[in-house]
Amino acid sequence: MTEQAQPEAETEDFAFDLGEREISFSIDEDLYALDAIYGASYLFVDRCYLFLSRLAERKVHVRLRTKEPSSEAELEALAGEFANELLNSQLRFRIGRATAGIRAQYMARAFFGSGGSSTIQDLLAELDAEELAEDALEVPVPWKDSPAQQKGES
Amino acid sequence: MSARTISLRRLPLVEEKLSHFRYGKVAGRHLVTNDMGAWHFLDEASFEDLLAGRIDQGHAEFKALQEKGFLREGFDLDRAAEQMQRKKRFVGQGPHLHIVITTLRCNQSCKYCHASRTNMDRVDTDMSLETAKQVVDLAMQSPSPYINFEFQGGEPTVNMAALRFIVEYSREKNKYENKQLEHSLVTNMTYMTEENAEWLIENEVLVCTSLDGPEELHNYNRTWRQDQNAYANVRKWIDYFNRRYIEVGRDPQLWHVDALMTTSRKTFDHWKEVVDLYLELGMHTIFLRPLNPYGFAVDTWKRIGYTSEEYLEFYKRAFAYILEKNLAGQEIVEGTAATFLTKILTADDPNFVDILSPCGAGTGQVAYNYDGKIFTCDEARMTSAMGNDMFQIGQVQDTSYAEMHGHPTVRAMAVASLQDSLPSCDTCWNKPFCGVCPMHNYMTSGDIFGQRPNSPKCKEHYTIASVLFEHLADDRDGKFEKIFRRWTLTRPRELSSDCKT
Repeated sequence: MTEQAQPEAETEDFAFDLGEREISFSIDEDLYALDAIYGASYLFVDRCYLFLSRLAERKVHVRLRTKEPSSEAELEALAGEFANELLNSQLRFRIGRATAGIRAQYMARAFFGSGGSSTIQDLLAELDAEELAEDALEVPVPWKDSPAQQKGES
Repeated sequence: MSARTISLRRLPLVEEKLSHFRYGKVAGRHLVTNDMGAWHFLDEASFEDLLAGRIDQGHAEFKALQEKGFLREGFDLDRAAEQMQRKKRFVGQGPHLHIVITTLRCNQSCKYCHASRTNMDRVDTDMSLETAKQVVDLAMQSPSPYINFEFQGGEPTVNMAALRFIVEYSREKNKYENKQLEHSLVTNMTYMTEENAEWLIENEVLVCTSLDGPEELHNYNRTWRQDQNAYANVRKWIDYFNRRYIEVGRDPQLWHVDALMTTSRKTFDHWKEVVDLYLELGMHTIFLRPLNPYGFAVDTWKRIGYTSEEYLEFYKRAFAYILEKNLAGQEIVEGTAATFLTKILTADDPNFVDILSPCGAGTGQVAYNYDGKIFTCDEARMTSAMGNDMFQIGQVQDTSYAEMHGHPTVRAMAVASLQDSLPSCDTCWNKPFCGVCPMHNYMTSGDIFGQRPNSPKCKEHYTIASVLFEHLADDRDGKFEKIFRRWTLTRPRELSSDCKT
């Protein structure tokens, strides 16, 4: 029996341009989902003006212009902060996508499951269903909806 | 332009091993949380193990993470659904908090008056008995098994006739409705008389007052007539009620006057004395509350206002002092922290309408203005007093319960405060414990959705929750958790005593 290979962390270079009160860079959509790019960018709307554009297929160009004057060191720190948030945003995006099914299931059971409070419509629907089940001749069932009609029998 | 490069480390993620969770760095560690309100601290290595699917039977964190629903292996869907259902029990229950503005008249003129009070000669801002009856008829249609009529103003006791009528008529009506019915009064005590006080005690109307701090501070914030001392007056009536509760045989643990304070810039110089005063008066709770952008506070902000950061510095100092007093054996609860702690440490939600997802606007609370206009919440009627009726959802004279509850504005408020669909909230570790106020967003940004990084409420909630988790993260002997758990205990009478404005 062979031991399964453990996934390893990967390193990558994050290249950016630094200018007067701004930083800019391109993000590869094959590495980062568009929602993750939006998510990371959103966190900076209090401090920066954000400009997103598409310069090439699957490449998103991001430019952050600070609202207040910033030193070079502050801009470098800003780039680092954005890069960290981008990594986090991508992780969160993937966790959300991978677990969406589970989440949908427990949410559905919590809000629409048997433990939920019945509305009068639910109760009436239950009573109707019971009446239909007891009605061998299917008297209340419209002719066009009867199983026989739907099978094409006349 | 100059080109730079930094090196990034991308963590591996084994998706099929995970259940849904959110995470963030708190107290130097990774805090993971989930929809069911479970939370767990992980060190760097264990967090990477979680992402990489390396938390298996032999791992030190396996048992805790599995039990709390963070792992796919052994995830119990039914249990998760039950926990979610319990946490979100308030959804669909119908409004329980019915705020009634019996009058806008008030004999105080507070610098920050959120309600935009009117002068005492403005009798046209009194609620008529006919309108009061229509308010009760409408409010009692709520399917909520618990109904609380909260009287606000102006100074609500200025129109005692409407207040008394609502109490008596709703009691009468409740003989058939059989709901858990309560009444609470938010009063500045400046219009209180012995006759009214005795009636309130006899009729079990819960009394909550405003006490901003020591004499100088209270009188500065809450201007009264030149020859009157607002502070001395409120102290006199707190003593009167508390004494009379004991004399008529009520349990003082459950029956006592509660007080609320509003923080102005001047409070920053007196934060310690404010806490000491509440302790001296034997108050069970102190609710540290910032100014809000409603009413007169908008105009006086430059003089008495402050930034979120300044408020949160004040909060942290005062909170630390309150905790220190608790550690020394004195019992006093900080109200906002207690709301968060109930979400963090118990299986329930305290159903505090300001910190809910979706928020309680129109679904957990409704505000009825003196003229019968219905609003989604108290903040909405405060906005109306500033000339903006955008959040009106009806008029008691001609609106049915279904029209009010199903109003498009109520739905819009629910959508704008449902954190699962709000950018930043949906991925924030604090999401299970937090709540959004669309009215606050609207007043600060002109948009009920707002932007999280620009939201003072977001900063406030995030910081308060962080402070609490920092204490829980570094609590080896459990001394903080012991106090915090005590703060989450809700005694029956206190269900409705957290008067909110």
